[in-house]
Amino acid sequence: MNLERFAGPRAGLPVGSRLGSVGVMGLILAALALAGVWAAWHLRLDPGDLVPGQGGWRLARDFLGRALRPAWQFEGPYQGHGTDSLPWQALRAAVATVVFAATSLSLALVGGVVLGFLGSTSLMGRPAVVVPARLLANLLRAVHELIWAVLLLAALGRGHLVAVIAIALPYAGTLAKIFAEMMDETPADAACALELAGATPVQRFLYGILPRALPDMTAYVFYRFECALRSAAVLGFFGFPTLGYYLAASFENLYYGEVWTYLYVLLGVILAVDWWSGRLRRELAT
Amino acid sequence: MSGRLAEVRRLHRARPRRRFVTRSVAVLALIIGLSWLGGDFQATELLGSRQQVNAARFLSELRPWPLQQPGAPDTLPAQLTVAVRWFGRMWQQKGAAAVATTLAISLVAILLSGVAGGLLSLPAARNFAVPQPFLPGGRRPSRVRIWLWRAVFGLTRGLLTVVRAVPEYIWAFLLLAVLGPTVWPLILALALHNTGSLGKLTADVIENVDPRVPRALRGAGAGRLAIVGAALVPLCLPRFLLYFFYRWEICVRESTVLGMLGIASLGFWIVDARARTHYDEMLFFVICGMALVLLGDLVSAAVRHVVRRA
Repeated sequence: MNLERFAGPRAGLPVGSRLGSVGVMGLILAALALAGVWAAWHLRLDPGDLVPGQGGWRLARDFLGRALRPAWQFEGPYQGHGTDSLPWQALRAAVATVVFAATSLSLALVGGVVLGFLGSTSLMGRPAVVVPARLLANLLRAVHELIWAVLLLAALGRGHLVAVIAIALPYAGTLAKIFAEMMDETPADAACALELAGATPVQRFLYGILPRALPDMTAYVFYRFECALRSAAVLGFFGFPTLGYYLAASFENLYYGEVWTYLYVLLGVILAVDWWSGRLRRELAT
Repeated sequence: MSGRLAEVRRLHRARPRRRFVTRSVAVLALIIGLSWLGGDFQATELLGSRQQVNAARFLSELRPWPLQQPGAPDTLPAQLTVAVRWFGRMWQQKGAAAVATTLAISLVAILLSGVAGGLLSLPAARNFAVPQPFLPGGRRPSRVRIWLWRAVFGLTRGLLTVVRAVPEYIWAFLLLAVLGPTVWPLILALALHNTGSLGKLTADVIENVDPRVPRALRGAGAGRLAIVGAALVPLCLPRFLLYFFYRWEICVRESTVLGMLGIASLGFWIVDARARTHYDEMLFFVICGMALVLLGDLVSAAVRHVVRRA
C-alpha cells in the first residue's frame, strides 16, 4: 500500500508550488537583492571594518577565553548588594527578570484580550469598533518596549512599574493583533450552526469560536513569555535590576568571568522557557 | 430529552484533557501571582504627586519647540501650520537620514540571516542530516557516519537555539566592544538572532517537505547538491519567504532601538534628544520609528499575501 500519499496534508507545502509562481518568486528575490545593494551603499558598508582593531582582538580573546571558566566569585572589589555571593546575586537578578516578565505579560494579556476581541471580526464585526481597535493595537506595537521605557522614564522618573508598563504596552498590541487573527482564522462552521440554532452573537463567539482558537492563543502566550524574559533582561541596561544591568556593569569593568556567569544564567532561564513553550505547542498541536 | 442531556454530559466528561497543558497554565498563573506579590512595586511610582507634576510638564514639552515660545499662535490651524513646518524641517535635517539608516541596517541584517539561516537549515533538518537522505533501503551506512551526522545535526540545532536565545541588544552590546563603533555590530547582532530563528523555522519546513520529489531525484542518482537545488529550494522557497518577511518586520522594529548603544540611527537620536531634554525632538524620532515599523508591516503583509497566492 502506498502510504506516502497520506503524508500530503501534513507536509504543509502547497504554498506556491505551481510552476507559474517562479516569476513572482524571482521578482521578490530580485527586489531583495536590489534593496540589499541600496542598503550597503547607503551605510557605506566596508567589509574591512569587520576586522577588529588591536584592542578589539585582545578584548575578544580575553572575553572568549573566559567562556568555559565563568566566575563563581566577584572579580573586583565591588561586592554587589551587601554580602551576596556572585551565584546568589545572579540568581536574584534572574528572579527579578522573571518578575518583570511575568507581571508585564499579565498586564499585556488583559489589554491584548480586550483589544483582540474588539479587533476580531467574529465577535462584533462592526467596522466602527474593529478599525480603531486594530489601529490602537498596531500603534502600541510599533513603538519598541525600550522606546516606551525611555518615554515613561522621562515622564514619570524611575520606578519598577515603569519597566513593567513599558513592556506591557507593546506586548498588549502584539497579543491583540495575533489574537484577532487567530479568532478570525477559526473555521466559521460551528459558529454558523450555532447562529442558525438561534444563538446570540455572544454565545456564538463563546461556544463556536473561542474554544477552537484557545489552544493556539495559549501556545502564543507562552512564546510571548519567552520574549518578555528577553525584553526584561535588556531593560536592565536602563538601570532596572534584571540580568542585563549586572551583565553590562561587569562587562564595562572588564570582569569577563562574571559576564559569562550572567550570560549562562540568562541562557538557562530562556532555554528552559523555550523548551516549556515548545513542548506545550507540540501537545496543543496534536 | 433528559437522555440526550445525559449523553452531552457524558461526552463533556470524556473530552480529551491534556494534563501538561492545564498544569502549564496553572504554573504560569502561579508565577504571575507570586511576581506581583514578591516584586518591589509601589503605586506611588506612577500616581505620586511628584510624578503627576513631572508627567504634566513632560506632556507640555512634547509640543514642537516653536509652539512653546511666548509668541506662539493660539488658534489651532495656525498652530498646526507651525507644527507641520517644524516637522518638515526636522525631517530634512535629521529624520530622513536616521530612518534610511535604520531601514538599511534592518535590510542588510535580514538578508545576511536569510543566507546564513537558509544554509544552516540543511544540517538542522532531521531528514537531511543523515548519511543517505531520502534514500529508502540501500546499503546500511556505517555506524560512524550515522553518529557523525547526528553530531552535525545536534550541533547545528544547538547553535541555532543559542544564538536565538540571546537578545539582539545584548549581542550588539558585546559586538560593539570588539568591532568598534560602526554599523556592523548592530547588523551582526540582528543577523545572529534572526539566523537562529530563520534557521530553525526553515529546518522545520524541510522536515515537512513531501519526500516524493527528493526521493525520485535520489533514485535517479542525484547527489546532495542536486537534491537541494532541484527539490528542496523550489519546494521550500515560498514558505521560507513567508518567514523571511515575518522576521523582517521584527528586525525593523528591533533596529529602531539598537542605535541607543551609540550608533547614529533612530534609537541614538531618541536617547540623544532625551539627554538634552528636547522632548519634542524625542517625540519626532519616536513617530519616525513608528511610521517605519508600520510601513515595514504593510510591505511585509503585501509581499506575504502575494507569496501565499502565487
